[in-house]
Amino acid sequence: QSTIKWRMQTYAGSALAAHVAKPAIDKFNAIAGDRMQIDLYSADELVPTNELFRAMQRGTIDAVQSDDDSMASPTEVTVFGGYFPLTLRYSLDVPVLFNRYGLDEIWKEEYEKVGIRHVSAGAWDPCNFATREPVNSLKDLEGKRIFTFPTAGRFLAQFGVVPVTLPWEDIEVALQTGELDGVAWSGITEDYTVGWAEVTKYFVSNPISGAWIGHFFANMDRWNELPDDLKLLFEVCCEQSHYYRQHWYWGGEAYLRVHGDKLELTSIPDEEWAQVEDAAEKFWDEVASESDTKAKVVEIFKQYNADMRKAGKPYRYESA
Amino acid sequence: MQKAMLAYIHVVDGMNRFIGRIVMYLIFVMIGVLLWSTSSKVFLTPANWTLETAQFLMVAYFILGGPYSIQMGSNVRMDLFYGDWSLRTKAWVDAFTVFFLIFYLAILLVGGLGSLAYSLGYFGPEPFQFLGSLIWTFVTEGKGAAQEMLGYLERSPTAWRPVMWPIKLLTCIGVFLMILQALAEFFRDVTRLREVAD
Amino acid sequence: MSYEVIALLMFSTMMLMLMTGQRVFAAIGFVATVAGILLWGVGGEDIPFSAAMKLMKWYPLLTLPMFIFMGYVMSESRIADDLYRMFHVWMGPVRGGLAIGTIALMVLISAMNGLSVAGMAIGATIALPELLRRNYDKIMVTGVIQAGASLGILVPPSVVLVLYAMIARQPVGQLWLAGVLPGLMMAALFVIYVYLRCLVQPQLGPAMSQEEREEVTMAEKLRLLRAGILPIVIFAVMMVPFVKGWTSLVESSAIGAIASFMAAVLKGRMTRQVFEVSVRQTLGISCMFMWIILAAMAFGAIFDGLGAVNAIRNLFTEQMGLSPWTILILMQLSFLVMGTFLDDTAMLVIVAPLYVPLVDALGFDLVWYGILYTITTQIAYMTPPFGYNLFLMRAMAPPSINMRDIYRSIVPFVFVMILALALVMIFPDIAMWLPNYVYGK
Ligand SMILES: NC(=[NH2+])NCCC[C@H](N)C(=O)O
Ligand code: NA
Ligand code: NA
Repeated sequence: QSTIKWRMQTYAGSALAAHVAKPAIDKFNAIAGDRMQIDLYSADELVPTNELFRAMQRGTIDAVQSDDDSMASPTEVTVFGGYFPLTLRYSLDVPVLFNRYGLDEIWKEEYEKVGIRHVSAGAWDPCNFATREPVNSLKDLEGKRIFTFPTAGRFLAQFGVVPVTLPWEDIEVALQTGELDGVAWSGITEDYTVGWAEVTKYFVSNPISGAWIGHFFANMDRWNELPDDLKLLFEVCCEQSHYYRQHWYWGGEAYLRVHGDKLELTSIPDEEWAQVEDAAEKFWDEVASESDTKAKVVEIFKQYNADMRKAGKPYRYESA
Repeated sequence: MQKAMLAYIHVVDGMNRFIGRIVMYLIFVMIGVLLWSTSSKVFLTPANWTLETAQFLMVAYFILGGPYSIQMGSNVRMDLFYGDWSLRTKAWVDAFTVFFLIFYLAILLVGGLGSLAYSLGYFGPEPFQFLGSLIWTFVTEGKGAAQEMLGYLERSPTAWRPVMWPIKLLTCIGVFLMILQALAEFFRDVTRLREVAD
Repeated sequence: MSYEVIALLMFSTMMLMLMTGQRVFAAIGFVATVAGILLWGVGGEDIPFSAAMKLMKWYPLLTLPMFIFMGYVMSESRIADDLYRMFHVWMGPVRGGLAIGTIALMVLISAMNGLSVAGMAIGATIALPELLRRNYDKIMVTGVIQAGASLGILVPPSVVLVLYAMIARQPVGQLWLAGVLPGLMMAALFVIYVYLRCLVQPQLGPAMSQEEREEVTMAEKLRLLRAGILPIVIFAVMMVPFVKGWTSLVESSAIGAIASFMAAVLKGRMTRQVFEVSVRQTLGISCMFMWIILAAMAFGAIFDGLGAVNAIRNLFTEQMGLSPWTILILMQLSFLVMGTFLDDTAMLVIVAPLYVPLVDALGFDLVWYGILYTITTQIAYMTPPFGYNLFLMRAMAPPSINMRDIYRSIVPFVFVMILALALVMIFPDIAMWLPNYVYGK
């Protein structure tokens, strides 16, 4: 019996993939041995990220690690992938929402419609601004040219932010030359890992989102062909990958805020930031009005956040 | 036969030359878009459409300009041996190798049409059927009915979010023109060989 | 099929295809598609097209038509003529001075365009006839022009480095800066070589005669100095806004293109004919490059996805147990061999999927490696049987220069380039100092 071979592409560049994808896939390969091997490819290696979804659907690529937004999935839930503004506080929110509040079923169903197996969702880092000039008030954001995600850009435009889309590899140079004033793309761990900490000076502690939502997916036919135990093994390894990221990011974020010497922390005062939070709720309603599925997801987010506030410390610290 | 081939060559050469000669001026449109990008950044708020527009133009430029560049003989060949061959030998070999080119282009087109169907919201396994009936509906029942058939339109994941089908359509057309041109090259070689034989 | 067999099969089929003399992009694309269909499994036939989308998203590629256009405007409109005159009158009195002046001219032209075509055109049509008329040795000057023109791809802006950047996924800005000092160093080595040759054999490059020197007045000499302003202005309007962060790389290339266009218009040199030829040739050459890259991207992805890259890596590092430096030297040697008969982009496409990850894994810097690759490309442009500068020289040289002369002319310069290559390998800082300094690493 011959070895099953899968090709998997992540949306992460190779430096990042070494943490967020490779360890789990190495484990999978070690355990599955001759029965199955997964070759891991990093961002744009086999197909460009914007063709990633279709490549997986067609079977050109068997499995993918990405958020919905980056690979522009043709689903109703795409807008929530990556960083949906101000819905999440902590990275643990993601597994709770998926496993206890019903997002997992919604995602599985939406992806099944387009021929994709949604394996599981996990959290990555929060999304903060890293800037060249200090940001201490909402006013400081005005006119800043910021590299960020489409959805976040759409949301932030109302505060005078100018969302700029450039290819990821050019961000560092664009920050150096001043073509960009900052990024709102990741937490502080990645700012250090990928080198942006060298070319920005300040880190704004108020997050646009407390955690990124990303997933492992597989082509539906390839998935169905797998024997049950290998399906299980793949799921376990994905869970393991989520777990690794939980502590890698959570610990890294805190460690670098305290011990990192390249970025100085700044904050927008809570009263002012409340305006952003209010605007976010409006934004959610806007998105909810676009379709039933979206409305359902937004409803779950609201319910979840209400529960967390009522639960109080340590789930939520704010008074509101 | 000879006549038909010559007529084909004449028509295809003429058409691709015409298209190529329009497309070559896109260089100025690209320059214009990029200069606008700079000035809007320096003097106004930065435009969010310029970079992608320039990219679309670039793809149109070289895909649609491809057939004309073949006519001009711009595409390099490795002439280690080829350079020393007689015109006749070259024509013989070219008449054969041009099918490698056509094969590559055909696969490029197959992939392109699949991707085009996807960008129009078709996710199923039969993209050609979908495109065929889309065109058929468009012709017989009009624009409205055709629009009904479309699904989730693919958009570029940027702040501007342009739909992707126009550039994919353009790419498919360009590759198709390339195939027509490659066939014209084949016929040219054949007629050349005949002329020598006569 | 084992990875090794796949790698070997794809590689050798491509060589065979190229031997048939068909268009390079077709050979690459054909091998890629066939491998995609036969070996990939489900969906392999989609990769050639997805390469088109990859290419579209890679935005530094937009600089390519811009710099090609710039080069054509410059050579067709002959706005560089005065520049040549300037070096001519100032350097003429020195032994071998006209040849040395020509090298300096080539450096300036290199700073204004991204390929070697412009340098070749200007060198062969303006400088060469003058040099021959002054009894300069035809073999030496033919070599000077080919070698000097090749600096166009090492001194920024450089199209070859843009292509390398795309395939190796390295920042173009850093690569360009890394090319500056090696480019100047190589030019200096050419000058030293020419100067020494003429010292030993004065008949190779006679100094300008007394009468002729007196013909040119001091006022005229000073006036000609102004010609030197043009390249400085073009280079400055292009690079200053980029370095200052007012414009992006791609935007500055558009500024460069329009600046040289305007210069030609203002000098009254933008005739209908010049306009037509520049616009048309830009399309032709851009298409040539883009179609090769398109096929190359598909080839690279399929080669990679079939696991062939891993096979080669294992072979080199584990099975043969070679040291990093041995591997690096072997790579450069293979580039030199391939460069004799291959187009540079084809060469990059074939081996980059193998070499780039391996170089990275061995702990070498990929920006530095890009410079090494570019120097081997310069050599490839001049080594028979396949070399762009050879072809251009063959097409443009006066009848008194035959193919044998052209072949002989390049020999000493190839050695000088190999010396430069060795120097950059031994002292990586020659390449890396400037980008590190500017980007503060
Ligand atoms: N393209 C995305 N939506 N990425 C989500 C960001 C996750 C992580 N911060 C990163 O930059 O990789
Ligand atoms: Na140059
Ligand atoms: Na060569």
